[in-house]
Amino acid sequence: MEHSTIKAKILRFDPDRDEKPYFQSYVIPVDEQITVYELLNIIHRDHDGSLAFRDFKCFKTMCTTCIVKLDGKTVRSCSTPVKPNSEIRIEPVSGGQIIRDLVVDFKNM
Amino acid sequence: MEIQNFSTDIAVIGGGGAALRAAIEAAERGQNVILVDKGRPGRSGATPCALWSVQAPFGPRGEDKRDSPEQFFEDMVRAGRFIGDQNIVEVVAFTACDRILDLERYGVKFKKHDDGRFYQTPMPGQTYPRSCFMFENGQHMSTVLAKEVSKHSNIKQFKDFFVFSLLKSQGTVVGLIGMDMITGNIAVINAKSTVLAAGGYASLWGFSDNPPSLIGDGIAMAYRVGAELVDLEFNQYYGTDVVWPPSVKGTIVIYELMIEDFINGEITDKDGNPIIEKPLPIRDDAIKTIYNVIKEGRGTEHGGVYFDTTKSPKSEEEIRDVFKMMTPKHYQFIADAAGIDAANQRLEVAPASHYQCGGVFINERGETNVKGLYACGEVAGNFQGANRLAGSALCDTQTMGARTGGCAADDAGKSDLIPIEKTVVSQQMDTLKNFMVDKKDSTRPVFIKEEILKAMDTYVAPFRDEKGLNQALSRINSLKDDLTRISLPKIKRYNMELREALETSFALDAAEATIGSCLFRTESRGHHNRTEFSETDNANWQCHTIAKQKDGKPVYSKRDVIYTHLKPDD
Repeated sequence: MEHSTIKAKILRFDPDRDEKPYFQSYVIPVDEQITVYELLNIIHRDHDGSLAFRDFKCFKTMCTTCIVKLDGKTVRSCSTPVKPNSEIRIEPVSGGQIIRDLVVDFKNM
Repeated sequence: MEIQNFSTDIAVIGGGGAALRAAIEAAERGQNVILVDKGRPGRSGATPCALWSVQAPFGPRGEDKRDSPEQFFEDMVRAGRFIGDQNIVEVVAFTACDRILDLERYGVKFKKHDDGRFYQTPMPGQTYPRSCFMFENGQHMSTVLAKEVSKHSNIKQFKDFFVFSLLKSQGTVVGLIGMDMITGNIAVINAKSTVLAAGGYASLWGFSDNPPSLIGDGIAMAYRVGAELVDLEFNQYYGTDVVWPPSVKGTIVIYELMIEDFINGEITDKDGNPIIEKPLPIRDDAIKTIYNVIKEGRGTEHGGVYFDTTKSPKSEEEIRDVFKMMTPKHYQFIADAAGIDAANQRLEVAPASHYQCGGVFINERGETNVKGLYACGEVAGNFQGANRLAGSALCDTQTMGARTGGCAADDAGKSDLIPIEKTVVSQQMDTLKNFMVDKKDSTRPVFIKEEILKAMDTYVAPFRDEKGLNQALSRINSLKDDLTRISLPKIKRYNMELREALETSFALDAAEATIGSCLFRTESRGHHNRTEFSETDNANWQCHTIAKQKDGKPVYSKRDVIYTHLKPDD
């Protein structure tokens, strides 16, 4: 039986090493829809421990820690589902300094 | 690795309600403070996850004029099954109202009656309704506290800062060493007083309603410098947290909302039979009931029971209004992330790890048994005893947070800074470098962490027994060996796996001491339930359990409880 997948292109950037940001592709097998937050954790565990993201979770969409740009739009990854057989693009949000990959430093927070 | 050195009067470790309040108090007393948080202060730990309920005995200034600090004291002592230290319960009961008024002054909005009295909801275990209602819950409270902290020029904040050890000199805690996740640099902070407010460790269990960061750093770093830990076996589970689907697993569903005044639905087994009678019992009794129903095979497919709003005589609209008034954000989160409308669908829920009644041993000044080290908030123990009431945790952060910050400040004002010895720092750097070296036959921290969490879920559940606890202990010991084989990516900035490795090392110590405490106490009381010792044994166990490191291993002992106003036989 063929698994459904989510194909995610995620923007990587390590200011210490990379001249400029680049997209890295991940293919994640899934049976049901998952949230972007779940996707990042699956990548961390099973595919690429080097991907940097903030993994704090408040369970109620208030802390704004998990925000990312999904296909260009700012979303809370904790409460944004992605369906199987989707192709998505994930980037860090704007408005702060990129520390690494999806981790952004907001000076006022 | 570059090391930066800082010195200050007070170092505060944590970024939640207790840490922020302690920092404010110390700063207001003229001390210089450096606050370090492994996340972002005000948006990390458990405080942002909290709901509306903060207890304070306002009496005639609140819901019921018969309420009083004395009644609050008594309710806490009884709920704690008479093993909470009453010198500390007194601080909480008698300063709660002032601390709530401080929160109001800082900008937290509380629901009031038209005549200005505090609106207070009834919660199980309170003799009179005592839970003040914060309109925008724990996140708002955290944000307001963080804003108040930023008004003090004598408080420096280091966010994304992972403390990997407290530092001692001549038997006194003189500061800490940590990693700035943002740059990857190491920093040493030398302080006259160090206040540990790093939170509880509910996420040491796999099924938990706390953020994954709360995994035992706090108690483990204290334990490693000789601090006593107390009552670690009193692990509070919340009875009705979502167990399915995974996107919302661990989301808290407020069991108290099922009361007649609110939703008036039913908590049922897999066939729809109600399993809990109204008026709803206090949390630990409800948890036992739910746990047993699941264990007897009457639970749902995913190992839960149903939180069934559809069984209520009230309309869907009325029920939705209750959710929107009491827990609007959680209701919305479940709807957005999982597509479930809790107002017209039943939720699959089960007891999840929620809060730790025990922790670092403190006195009424927040002092630990190690000079220079203080603790407050959920990381500290002693006063909750065997079970705590809803709304007491946030109350603790403000009462003991302020009290401890103040005492740490007063003591710092009378002392000189003791410097940190270079050998102590190089020892820590060697340990860190060991983690970073590539190992043969290597493993990754995430796999070890998962196994710890699984062992805690399986063997350190609401009901425990000797066989299971011993299996857990041997699992933890074999995982300690695995930890020596981890390899990590060579990344300087925000190295998640390095942080995970350090957290996992702390988690192993926290797990070992918790399991050992569960084994030590051979009775059942409040949140600690031994199946082979199902009765409460006041003759032998109306006391604290102490865990302390000796020659690298925890040793356990009993200690008398401090009684002031209410003896057990009164």
